[in-house]
Amino acid sequence: MRGGPASGPAVPSHERIEQETIEIVRRLIRRPVALGPDSELMADLGFDSLQVLELVGELEDHFNIAVPLNGLTHIRTVSQIAAEVARLVNAPEPLA
Amino acid sequence: MSESTLFAALEQAACSGRSIRVLEQIDQPLVLPYETLRREALVLGGALRARGLEPGARVALILPDVADFIRAFFGIAAAGLVPVPLFPPAQAGDLPTFTRQSGHILDASRASAVLTSGDIAPLLDVSGASSAACILTLDALRDGPALSAAVAVTSDRTALIQFTSGSTAAPKGVMLTHGNIEANTAAIRHNLNVRPDDVGVSWLPLYHDMGLIGMLMTAVYSTANLVITSPVQFLKRPTIWLEAISKYRGTISFAPNFAYALCLRRVKPSQLAGLDLSSWRVAGCGAEPVRAETLRAFADHFASTGFRRSVFVPSYGLAEHCLAVTFATGLKVDVVDRAVLGRESRAIPVVNGSPSVTVVSCGRPVANHDVRIVDDEGHPLPERHVGRIVTRGPSVMAGYFENAGATAETLRDGWLHTGDLGYMTEGELFVCGRTKDLIIRQGRKYHPPDLESAIADVQGVRPSGVVVFGITSFNESDTVVAVLEARASSPVEDIAEHVRRRVRETAGLEIDQVIVTPPGTIPRTTSGKVRRSETRARFEAGTLVAGDRGP
Repeated sequence: MRGGPASGPAVPSHERIEQETIEIVRRLIRRPVALGPDSELMADLGFDSLQVLELVGELEDHFNIAVPLNGLTHIRTVSQIAAEVARLVNAPEPLA
Repeated sequence: MSESTLFAALEQAACSGRSIRVLEQIDQPLVLPYETLRREALVLGGALRARGLEPGARVALILPDVADFIRAFFGIAAAGLVPVPLFPPAQAGDLPTFTRQSGHILDASRASAVLTSGDIAPLLDVSGASSAACILTLDALRDGPALSAAVAVTSDRTALIQFTSGSTAAPKGVMLTHGNIEANTAAIRHNLNVRPDDVGVSWLPLYHDMGLIGMLMTAVYSTANLVITSPVQFLKRPTIWLEAISKYRGTISFAPNFAYALCLRRVKPSQLAGLDLSSWRVAGCGAEPVRAETLRAFADHFASTGFRRSVFVPSYGLAEHCLAVTFATGLKVDVVDRAVLGRESRAIPVVNGSPSVTVVSCGRPVANHDVRIVDDEGHPLPERHVGRIVTRGPSVMAGYFENAGATAETLRDGWLHTGDLGYMTEGELFVCGRTKDLIIRQGRKYHPPDLESAIADVQGVRPSGVVVFGITSFNESDTVVAVLEARASSPVEDIAEHVRRRVRETAGLEIDQVIVTPPGTIPRTTSGKVRRSETRARFEAGTLVAGDRGP
């Protein structure tokens, strides 16, 4: 079974989604910093709101999901983002 | 004779048969004919009146959905109410900031109601910020009963209250009359030669002056087509802006400097092939300092798409002036002597390779408006002397809402004191900074952005995380404070000393206090720019570093 973009019937596991989310976050960090599931986007990784939206765009493309407009308001850490992605992958809201 | 009001402008646009197209995806626009908007506005306006809201009452709008914002805005106008646009919550992790700032603005505007979406309404309830205002969702207002005609208002009444972004402690609400908006859109149309067959393209937030007045209102008053998407869509995928111009043959589009820089970084070479930007005849740039190198690089990068450098329109404006003050035609720069600028506040063209500063021309005042440069006492200054930018004309706001003190400070003898610094030469305006942020030490003036960019180069400093400000004390020189975010990964010893030395070497200024903080400490705007005055306020209150987390 393959992970990767959620095409076809194979739904990636939660661990797989978290791992891929971390990889995408890593690509967007402009400097090398320690990065793990508990890293906070803004406080630890220094993301500004522009980078957060860049991340959302990348996640949407990679996992073929649509993150609702205010879907991330409560989210602070990488693992919280991954959990939200997993929720959307498993129960996708219809793409507009 | 009918008064020139927001709703009258919509009625005129409705007769044109033209539309606003709202893009979620590039190929699936939601078409909102002006005629449909007019009809929906009467329904929404009727529903608001039926809830007991009396003409002149303020109604706050928190609607991230572009179509909903436009519907609600004109519905409020149809009912003779006063819209107060607020910014919606940021995407991630900043809920406390949203509830705090919304609360401040709802209090300051004494809004009778908040018009919002079903998913944001609970966030407001939790905060308790909106205790005085009733919370209404757009869905609850779709049944009217429809007004037979808009509530009549005269053009000298307040049409809109615009709260300037980033102000938290005591936000000021800019009161604009229907006459102000008519005057500024007329000036924009005249100077940019806007015709009904122009096509505006915008992703700018509608809760800011450039998006609301510059794009939406100008399109409505010109009865022109407008293609619009949200800032969130643009920031996620900047290409959508250029794709929209390409696909819908956009002719006029404005954006801040950073948006042009973002396109340079994020639009991939493979995406250039499908773009045709040859229809773009006004590429406006404003709302923050215009950088020549960004615009030149953009023109080079997108040359293959038919984009022409000559279409850049650097511009200057502010909410207190409705929006537009000056427009340039093309990118024109002035390269001036840095030392003379700092020492004598004069902008003298540089000779024989002395250190220099490049300033972009923001062009000439729009029709029927005047711009002057004055000294601290209000006396006009000669050409090429840096001073306070003041403006006069029919676009100047009525005042700040219920804030006579701030109004009297800003509107003096018929002139609007912009708080910005600049100089003029041959009728063109060059903007140099803001008076509020100016640091004065031993009679010498320092511009924080200059000091910040010097510090940004110091090893171990996050370049986007530097703020410098002065603390003014009576009869003494300013105390200069630098707050910087250190890179978490590569700590540098004695970083404060390196910073002091760099500023000493580049500006000849001694910094009194260097505050080294972890990433994420410095408050930022929704677009990621550092907020200098908020940083200073937190520093003075002692709450800057004691925030949620240590390093």
